[in-house]
Amino acid sequence: MVLTTRVGNGANGVVRTGGGHTRRRLLGVTVGTAIGVAAPAGCGLFGDDPEPPAPDPLQPVLDEARALSAAYERAVATQPSLAKRLDPLAADHRAHLEELVRVIGRNVPSAAASSAPAGSDPGETLSGLRSAERRAQRTAAALARQVPAERAALVGSIAACRGSHAEALR
Amino acid sequence: MSAELAAALAAEEAAIYAYGLIGVHLDGAGARAEARTAEAGHRNRRDVLVARLDELRASAAPAPAGYQLPFEVTDHGSALKLAIEVEQGVAAAWRAALPATADDDRATAVDALAGAAVRATRWRRLAGVSPVTVPFPGRP
Repeated sequence: MVLTTRVGNGANGVVRTGGGHTRRRLLGVTVGTAIGVAAPAGCGLFGDDPEPPAPDPLQPVLDEARALSAAYERAVATQPSLAKRLDPLAADHRAHLEELVRVIGRNVPSAAASSAPAGSDPGETLSGLRSAERRAQRTAAALARQVPAERAALVGSIAACRGSHAEALR
Repeated sequence: MSAELAAALAAEEAAIYAYGLIGVHLDGAGARAEARTAEAGHRNRRDVLVARLDELRASAAPAPAGYQLPFEVTDHGSALKLAIEVEQGVAAAWRAALPATADDDRATAVDALAGAAVRATRWRRLAGVSPVTVPFPGRP
Protein backbone atom coordinates (compact mmCIF):
# COMPACT_ATOMS: atom_id res chain seq x y z
CA MET A 1 0.00 0.00 0.00
CA VAL A 2 2.77 2.29 0.94
CA LEU A 3 4.67 1.37 -2.16
CA THR A 4 1.77 2.16 -4.46
CA THR A 5 1.44 5.61 -3.00
CA ARG A 6 5.13 6.34 -3.34
CA VAL A 7 5.32 5.06 -6.89
CA GLY A 8 2.28 7.11 -7.76
CA ASN A 9 3.93 10.22 -6.46
CA GLY A 10 7.17 9.49 -8.20
CA ALA A 11 5.76 8.56 -11.62
CA ASN A 12 2.94 10.92 -12.36
CA GLY A 13 0.34 8.68 -10.87
CA VAL A 14 1.18 5.70 -13.05
CA VAL A 15 1.30 2.60 -10.96
CA ARG A 16 3.36 -0.03 -12.66
CA THR A 17 2.59 -3.58 -11.82
CA GLY A 18 5.00 -5.62 -13.87
CA GLY A 19 8.41 -4.04 -13.54
CA GLY A 20 9.97 -4.81 -10.21
CA HIS A 21 13.29 -3.38 -11.25
CA THR A 22 11.84 -0.17 -12.58
CA ARG A 23 9.76 0.25 -9.52
CA ARG A 24 12.70 -0.24 -7.28
CA ARG A 25 14.76 2.22 -9.20
CA LEU A 26 12.02 4.80 -9.00
CA LEU A 27 11.85 4.38 -5.28
CA GLY A 28 15.57 4.84 -4.93
CA VAL A 29 16.90 5.01 -1.40
CA THR A 30 13.51 5.37 0.23
CA VAL A 31 12.77 1.74 -0.52
CA GLY A 32 15.37 0.58 2.00
CA THR A 33 12.94 -0.21 4.77
CA ALA A 34 10.00 -1.16 2.55
CA ILE A 35 11.67 -3.71 0.30
CA GLY A 36 10.49 -6.54 2.51
CA VAL A 37 6.93 -5.46 1.78
CA ALA A 38 7.54 -5.34 -1.96
CA ALA A 39 8.38 -9.02 -2.39
CA PRO A 40 5.04 -10.49 -1.28
CA ALA A 41 3.25 -7.92 -3.42
CA GLY A 42 4.45 -9.66 -6.54
CA CYS A 43 7.79 -8.32 -7.57
CA GLY A 44 11.16 -9.67 -6.66
CA LEU A 45 9.91 -13.23 -6.16
CA PHE A 46 11.49 -14.33 -9.40
CA GLY A 47 13.90 -11.46 -9.68
CA ASP A 48 17.41 -12.17 -10.82
CA ASP A 49 19.03 -9.77 -8.40
CA PRO A 50 19.39 -10.77 -4.76
CA GLU A 51 17.28 -8.87 -2.29
CA PRO A 52 19.33 -6.65 0.00
CA PRO A 53 19.47 -8.00 3.54
CA ALA A 54 16.63 -6.92 5.78
CA PRO A 55 17.52 -3.76 7.67
CA ASP A 56 18.90 -4.32 11.12
CA PRO A 57 16.43 -3.47 13.90
CA LEU A 58 18.97 -0.93 15.19
CA GLN A 59 19.07 0.90 11.84
CA PRO A 60 16.76 3.70 13.09
CA VAL A 61 19.07 4.33 16.06
CA LEU A 62 22.06 4.46 13.73
CA ASP A 63 20.27 6.82 11.33
CA GLU A 64 19.43 9.13 14.22
CA ALA A 65 23.01 9.07 15.50
CA ARG A 66 24.20 10.16 12.05
CA ALA A 67 21.48 12.80 11.67
CA LEU A 68 22.08 14.24 15.14
CA SER A 69 25.81 14.37 14.62
CA ALA A 70 25.22 16.30 11.36
CA ALA A 71 22.68 18.58 13.03
CA TYR A 72 25.24 19.58 15.68
CA GLU A 73 27.83 20.28 13.01
CA ARG A 74 25.38 22.52 11.15
CA ALA A 75 24.46 24.29 14.36
CA VAL A 76 28.09 25.02 15.22
CA ALA A 77 28.80 26.15 11.65
CA THR A 78 25.91 28.62 11.82
CA GLN A 79 26.52 29.71 15.42
CA PRO A 80 30.18 29.26 16.34
CA SER A 81 29.52 30.68 19.81
CA LEU A 82 27.78 27.37 20.64
CA ALA A 83 30.81 25.24 19.78
CA LYS A 84 32.11 24.80 23.31
CA ARG A 85 28.74 23.56 24.47
CA LEU A 86 27.78 21.46 21.45
CA ASP A 87 31.04 19.85 20.34
CA PRO A 88 31.15 17.31 23.21
CA LEU A 89 27.56 16.29 22.47
CA ALA A 90 28.36 15.79 18.78
CA ALA A 91 31.33 13.63 19.84
CA ASP A 92 28.95 11.42 21.87
CA HIS A 93 26.83 10.82 18.75
CA ARG A 94 29.90 9.95 16.71
CA ALA A 95 30.89 7.43 19.40
CA HIS A 96 27.38 5.92 19.19
CA LEU A 97 27.60 5.74 15.42
CA GLU A 98 30.92 3.92 15.59
CA GLU A 99 29.62 1.36 18.10
CA LEU A 100 26.39 0.81 16.18
CA VAL A 101 28.24 0.23 12.92
CA ARG A 102 30.44 -2.29 14.71
CA VAL A 103 27.46 -4.13 16.24
CA ILE A 104 25.29 -4.06 13.12
CA GLY A 105 28.25 -5.13 11.02
CA ARG A 106 27.64 -2.75 8.16
CA ASN A 107 27.31 0.95 7.62
CA VAL A 108 24.36 1.43 5.30
CA PRO A 109 22.67 4.76 5.46
CA SER A 110 18.95 4.30 4.93
CA ALA A 111 16.48 7.08 4.32
CA ALA A 112 17.77 10.19 6.01
CA ALA A 113 16.27 10.50 9.45
CA SER A 114 14.67 13.84 10.03
CA SER A 115 17.01 16.09 11.89
CA ALA A 116 16.79 19.40 13.59
CA PRO A 117 17.30 22.38 11.30
CA ALA A 118 19.70 24.96 12.66
CA GLY A 119 17.68 27.84 14.07
CA SER A 120 18.28 31.46 13.28
CA ASP A 121 19.42 32.25 16.83
CA PRO A 122 21.14 30.17 19.53
CA GLY A 123 17.98 29.75 21.61
CA GLU A 124 16.03 28.39 18.68
CA THR A 125 18.90 26.11 17.68
CA LEU A 126 19.20 24.67 21.18
CA SER A 127 15.48 24.03 21.48
CA GLY A 128 15.41 22.35 18.05
CA LEU A 129 18.27 20.07 19.08
CA ARG A 130 16.58 19.35 22.39
CA SER A 131 13.42 18.15 20.64
CA ALA A 132 15.47 16.01 18.26
CA GLU A 133 17.33 14.44 21.21
CA ARG A 134 14.05 13.66 22.97
CA ARG A 135 12.62 11.99 19.86
CA ALA A 136 15.81 10.00 19.39
CA GLN A 137 15.79 8.99 23.06
CA ARG A 138 12.29 7.58 22.65
CA THR A 139 13.36 5.50 19.64
CA ALA A 140 16.36 4.07 21.48
CA ALA A 141 14.49 3.48 24.74
CA ALA A 142 11.69 1.61 22.95
CA LEU A 143 14.26 -0.61 21.22
CA ALA A 144 16.27 -1.12 24.41
CA ARG A 145 13.20 -2.83 25.88
CA GLN A 146 13.05 -5.38 23.07
CA VAL A 147 16.53 -6.08 21.79
CA PRO A 148 18.37 -9.32 22.61
CA ALA A 149 20.41 -9.35 25.80
CA GLU A 150 23.75 -8.80 24.07
CA ARG A 151 22.55 -5.47 22.63
CA ALA A 152 20.57 -4.24 25.60
CA ALA A 153 23.35 -2.42 27.44
CA LEU A 154 24.52 -0.55 24.34
CA VAL A 155 21.06 0.61 23.27
CA GLY A 156 20.07 1.43 26.85
CA SER A 157 23.19 3.58 27.26
CA ILE A 158 22.53 5.37 23.97
CA ALA A 159 18.97 6.14 25.08
CA ALA A 160 20.26 7.42 28.42
CA CYS A 161 22.92 9.54 26.73
CA ARG A 162 20.34 11.15 24.45
CA GLY A 163 18.24 11.93 27.53
CA SER A 164 21.26 13.52 29.20
CA HIS A 165 21.81 15.62 26.06
CA ALA A 166 18.28 16.97 26.29
CA GLU A 167 19.15 17.95 29.86
CA ALA A 168 22.47 19.49 28.81
CA LEU A 169 20.65 21.67 26.26
CA ARG A 170 18.29 23.17 28.82
CA MET B 1 18.37 -11.69 36.95
CA SER B 2 17.79 -11.52 40.71
CA ALA B 3 21.49 -10.96 41.34
CA GLU B 4 21.54 -7.93 39.01
CA LEU B 5 18.35 -6.50 40.53
CA ALA B 6 19.80 -7.03 44.01
CA ALA B 7 22.91 -5.13 42.91
CA ALA B 8 20.69 -2.32 41.60
CA LEU B 9 18.95 -2.29 44.98
CA ALA B 10 22.30 -1.99 46.76
CA ALA B 11 23.21 0.96 44.50
CA GLU B 12 19.88 2.67 45.22
CA GLU B 13 20.34 2.15 48.98
CA ALA B 14 23.83 3.65 48.77
CA ALA B 15 22.43 6.62 46.83
CA ILE B 16 19.76 7.26 49.48
CA TYR B 17 22.43 7.20 52.17
CA ALA B 18 24.73 9.51 50.20
CA TYR B 19 22.04 12.07 49.41
CA GLY B 20 21.42 12.47 53.14
CA LEU B 21 24.98 13.76 53.45
CA ILE B 22 24.99 15.61 50.16
CA GLY B 23 21.87 17.56 51.09
CA VAL B 24 23.35 19.05 54.26
CA HIS B 25 26.53 20.22 52.53
CA LEU B 26 25.05 21.82 49.44
CA ASP B 27 24.77 25.59 49.27
CA GLY B 28 21.71 27.19 47.77
CA ALA B 29 18.04 26.28 47.89
CA GLY B 30 18.07 25.18 44.25
CA ALA B 31 20.80 22.59 44.70
CA ARG B 32 19.27 21.33 47.94
CA ALA B 33 15.86 20.96 46.28
CA GLU B 34 17.55 19.05 43.48
CA ALA B 35 19.11 16.68 46.02
CA ARG B 36 15.74 16.12 47.72
CA THR B 37 14.09 15.30 44.38
CA ALA B 38 16.91 12.93 43.49
CA GLU B 39 16.70 11.21 46.87
CA ALA B 40 12.94 10.75 46.50
CA GLY B 41 13.50 9.22 43.07
CA HIS B 42 15.98 6.72 44.51
CA ARG B 43 13.58 5.87 47.34
CA ASN B 44 10.88 5.07 44.79
CA ARG B 45 13.23 2.81 42.85
CA ARG B 46 14.28 1.14 46.08
CA ASP B 47 10.67 0.42 47.08
CA VAL B 48 9.83 -1.00 43.64
CA LEU B 49 12.93 -3.22 43.74
CA VAL B 50 12.21 -4.51 47.23
CA ALA B 51 8.70 -5.50 46.14
CA ARG B 52 9.96 -7.08 42.93
CA LEU B 53 12.69 -9.10 44.64
CA ASP B 54 10.13 -10.26 47.16
CA GLU B 55 7.89 -11.39 44.30
CA LEU B 56 10.84 -13.28 42.81
CA ARG B 57 11.49 -14.80 46.23
CA ALA B 58 15.01 -13.49 45.96
CA SER B 59 16.82 -12.32 49.01
CA ALA B 60 18.64 -9.04 49.01
CA ALA B 61 21.36 -8.27 51.48
CA PRO B 62 20.06 -5.86 54.10
CA ALA B 63 21.26 -2.31 53.57
CA PRO B 64 24.26 -1.58 55.75
CA ALA B 65 23.82 1.05 58.43
CA GLY B 66 26.70 3.10 57.02
CA TYR B 67 28.85 3.30 53.94
CA GLN B 68 32.49 3.91 53.28
CA LEU B 69 32.44 7.02 51.13
CA PRO B 70 35.04 7.37 48.36
CA PHE B 71 36.11 10.69 49.90
CA GLU B 72 35.07 12.95 52.72
CA VAL B 73 32.15 15.27 52.11
CA THR B 74 32.91 18.54 53.82
CA ASP B 75 31.51 21.30 51.63
CA HIS B 76 29.45 22.22 48.56
CA GLY B 77 32.17 21.13 46.13
CA SER B 78 32.72 17.69 47.61
CA ALA B 79 28.94 17.21 47.95
CA LEU B 80 28.49 17.85 44.21
CA LYS B 81 31.37 15.52 43.43
CA LEU B 82 29.77 12.76 45.48
CA ALA B 83 26.38 13.34 43.81
CA ILE B 84 28.02 12.82 40.41
CA GLU B 85 29.73 9.61 41.62
CA VAL B 86 26.52 8.30 43.16
CA GLU B 87 24.56 8.72 39.94
CA GLN B 88 27.37 7.13 37.95
CA GLY B 89 27.28 4.17 40.31
CA VAL B 90 23.51 3.85 40.01
CA ALA B 91 23.76 4.07 36.22
CA ALA B 92 26.38 1.29 36.18
CA ALA B 93 24.19 -1.00 38.30
CA TRP B 94 21.14 -0.52 36.08
CA ARG B 95 23.15 -0.88 32.89
CA ALA B 96 24.42 -4.23 34.16
CA ALA B 97 20.80 -5.25 34.79
CA LEU B 98 19.77 -4.61 31.16
CA PRO B 99 21.11 -7.83 29.57
CA ALA B 100 19.84 -9.85 32.52
CA THR B 101 16.25 -8.62 32.37
CA ALA B 102 13.24 -8.71 30.05
CA ASP B 103 9.79 -7.15 29.76
CA ASP B 104 8.80 -4.94 32.69
CA ASP B 105 12.11 -5.40 34.51
CA ARG B 106 14.00 -4.38 31.36
CA ALA B 107 11.75 -1.33 30.99
CA THR B 108 12.44 -0.35 34.61
CA ALA B 109 16.18 -0.70 34.02
CA VAL B 110 16.02 1.42 30.83
CA ASP B 111 14.17 4.20 32.68
CA ALA B 112 16.39 4.03 35.74
CA LEU B 113 19.59 4.19 33.68
CA ALA B 114 18.31 7.26 31.83
CA GLY B 115 17.21 8.90 35.08
CA ALA B 116 20.65 8.45 36.62
CA ALA B 117 22.36 9.76 33.46
CA VAL B 118 20.17 12.88 33.43
CA ARG B 119 20.84 13.58 37.11
CA ALA B 120 24.59 13.04 36.67
CA THR B 121 24.51 15.63 33.87
CA ARG B 122 22.62 18.07 36.09
CA TRP B 123 25.18 17.67 38.90
CA ARG B 124 28.12 18.01 36.50
CA ARG B 125 26.67 21.28 35.24
CA LEU B 126 26.16 22.56 38.78
CA ALA B 127 29.73 21.51 39.63
CA GLY B 128 31.13 23.20 36.52
CA VAL B 129 32.49 19.87 35.28
CA SER B 130 33.01 19.63 31.53
CA PRO B 131 31.89 17.77 29.50
CA VAL B 132 28.54 17.41 31.23
CA THR B 133 27.72 14.14 29.47
CA VAL B 134 29.37 10.78 28.81
CA PRO B 135 28.74 8.82 25.59
CA PHE B 136 27.77 5.54 27.29
CA PRO B 137 26.27 6.18 30.72
CA GLY B 138 26.89 3.30 33.11
CA ARG B 139 29.63 1.73 31.03
CA PRO B 140 32.62 0.85 33.20
